Amino acid sequence: MTAQGTQVKDVIIKPDAPSALLLDKHADYIAAYGSKKDDYEYTLSEYLRMSGIYWGLTVMDLMGQLPRMNRQEIVDFIKACQHECGGISASIGHDPHLLYTLSAVQILCLYDSADALDVDKVVEYIKGLQQEDGSFAGDKWGEIDTRFSFCAVATLALLGKMDTINVDKAVEFVLSCMNFDGGFGCRPGSESHAGQIYCCTGFLSLTGQLHQINADLLGWWLCERQLPSGGLNGRPEKLPDVCYSWWVLASLKIIGRIHWIDKAKLRTFILACQDEETGGFADRPGDMVDPFHTLFGIAGLSLLGDEQIKPVNPVLCMPEDVLKRVDVQPDLLS
Amino acid sequence: MAESEEEVDVLVQRVVKDITIAFKRNPNIDEIGVIPCPEARYNRSPIVLVDNKLGVESWCVKFLLPYVHNKLLLYRQRKHWLDREALVDITCTLLLLNPDFTTAWNVRKELLQCGVLNPERDLYLGKLALTKFPKSPETWIHRRWVLQQILRQGHSRKQEQGEAEHAEMSQQLSDHLARTLHQEMKVCCDAACRYPSNYNAWSHRIWVLQHMAMGNIKVFHDELSSMRLWVSMHVSDHSGFHYRQFLLKELITELSQTQASTTITTTATTDSPQHCPNSLHHHGHSQANGELSGAEAGEEARQLSFTTVLQLFHQEMELCSDLIQSFPGHETLWSHRRHVFYLWHHWRKEHQLHCSSNGGSESVSVKDGDPGLQTVSAQSCAGRKCGESLNGQRNASEAMEVDGVSLPDPRDSKRLKRGVLLPDPPTLPSEYSFVSSILDKCCNPEQRRFALAYKKWLDTVIGQQP
Ligand SMILES: [Zn+2]
Repeated sequence: MTAQGTQVKDVIIKPDAPSALLLDKHADYIAAYGSKKDDYEYTLSEYLRMSGIYWGLTVMDLMGQLPRMNRQEIVDFIKACQHECGGISASIGHDPHLLYTLSAVQILCLYDSADALDVDKVVEYIKGLQQEDGSFAGDKWGEIDTRFSFCAVATLALLGKMDTINVDKAVEFVLSCMNFDGGFGCRPGSESHAGQIYCCTGFLSLTGQLHQINADLLGWWLCERQLPSGGLNGRPEKLPDVCYSWWVLASLKIIGRIHWIDKAKLRTFILACQDEETGGFADRPGDMVDPFHTLFGIAGLSLLGDEQIKPVNPVLCMPEDVLKRVDVQPDLLS
Repeated sequence: MAESEEEVDVLVQRVVKDITIAFKRNPNIDEIGVIPCPEARYNRSPIVLVDNKLGVESWCVKFLLPYVHNKLLLYRQRKHWLDREALVDITCTLLLLNPDFTTAWNVRKELLQCGVLNPERDLYLGKLALTKFPKSPETWIHRRWVLQQILRQGHSRKQEQGEAEHAEMSQQLSDHLARTLHQEMKVCCDAACRYPSNYNAWSHRIWVLQHMAMGNIKVFHDELSSMRLWVSMHVSDHSGFHYRQFLLKELITELSQTQASTTITTTATTDSPQHCPNSLHHHGHSQANGELSGAEAGEEARQLSFTTVLQLFHQEMELCSDLIQSFPGHETLWSHRRHVFYLWHHWRKEHQLHCSSNGGSESVSVKDGDPGLQTVSAQSCAGRKCGESLNGQRNASEAMEVDGVSLPDPRDSKRLKRGVLLPDPPTLPSEYSFVSSILDKCCNPEQRRFALAYKKWLDTVIGQQP
């Protein structure tokens, strides 16, 4: 039997938890992360390397530290990861996938060098993954998920090629995954989940269809994710987590309901997830840090209005100045 | 330890071989794990097999994983040749250590396509990986791909057969599919027990039903019954409860179609909306028609479906009330209540629309306090006092539920004529009084908070709808 206790599933933030933002430590942590390439952990996570690089570079850019990273090495790496079919893989020798195709295009936008890729082939790849019902497969093996719908339109939006797919059909599929609580799941009939909600609201923003969302109903569900500690969880009775805090907060921002949660308490929670010694953020106070939670910690603080960090775009999780440069301005509800 | 590259090579090749041998010797291995053991013990394999559990000593993982990882990537870049046998062994070891390595699953998909591997063997490998990594998204994704292959194979085999062989063949196929379906449910259940609110396990379970059992009322109903105990023991598992909501919604949709179609034709043979050539098709229509015929059967089937829907809602609300009272302060249970009441609220609205468009003389309306309920069973209202307590409702339903939560048998439909006590449908006032009773009795602050949130939800989401 699990969890019959009546106490709420949450964390307690200790009085000595970090309460100031340790930007320099975080930049050092990310800069050092990429150099430990022989590490066992590094091998274990190679299957998502391209996304790992996107997390690291984006958080560096948000902190104004992008020049510390090796631009040429990264651009060459991305080029080597583009396959015959046009898709991009997580690393060399791995198979191409929409997830890493989006990450690669995001990175190249940070470096203002999307032309390092064969863009027409990327577009062909994405177009070829759209199904008859409007959904997108993640790769040629056919798995369907609303996450992949987001990856497809986000990549195309960044490349300015949205008109190459059947947008109406794509919208129809995402809307078929909407639930009675206003949220979205991975496929029709699946449970609402903060990560999927982020993908679907982001998708509807990029396709200009935010009016299809019941913003009050969804906003309500999202606000119910906030726990007494201030942190947000991704579903009822799950623990709070820095990455879910981002997905919920960004979704609230997209649907114009960010003021519905207690921002000060969320800030306290996110700051408490920092590691004062190593730098970086963990999922929860006291856990091991990683680049993934470090990006979403910093991005969350940016959405909450921290002025030491560059403004972040809630839909694409990229610095606003980068999106201005590539001329992508996703809709937000007010 | 400063092993040379050569020494590591020899060591690792031996370990990969040991793993292969372990599987050959014991085809019943049902769990994998890493055994904490920082140092190698002289002259002993780091692969340990005890009681169908396969263990790898932790000291060797740091050599083993990078080795098989790099071997596979070199093969993928065509820099190093591996024969099929070696590919099978290397991907097996790799995926048991790192099951989210997508490309390794893809290599196995290719091996499966050219007949080197069979689908059952890969479902087995995935099942083992899930014992240690119950969330692993790539393992679940691969399972769905393998299941699609099984469904497709079945479909093409069906088309190859002549008429005479057809009946026997399709019996074999549907037996095979039923076994596969059963096994998937078991794998999902294990993974759900190993990790609470396991999104990937539960959304996989939904996918399996959508692709292998759509329209099969019996499968959905059996699932609903067997889940009853599980959710009662996992009252914080939101995903488990969502699965119940999915089952309930599909059952009600299917039963309502029975109602609609039997109104039009009494020998309903219409197909389900989602046509799956290989799913375990088994229709409510034929079941409901049973031995009866003609207009009588149509009317009986319609009444039966209607009663069943009502019972399903009633039983679900009862279960939910019991759990909320027994386990105060669980957000999951209150969220379940919202969903079930919402489903009921909409089913009732749609049902009224359907009936009135049919002329209304035979309508089975279930509006709050509407005398229409009596058209189904005159005694259902006569035997019931207004404003009965929760306990009173429970007695009424127990009297009717002869065999627990099972579907009424078509032969039992005669009971309808004799007049069966129909359960009280939930209503907005009964929900408000449920909330009040909780607030009156309970001092658990979380329970009170969730009860008030539910009340607010009733006010704004249900109350403001036309
Ligand atoms: Zn997280």
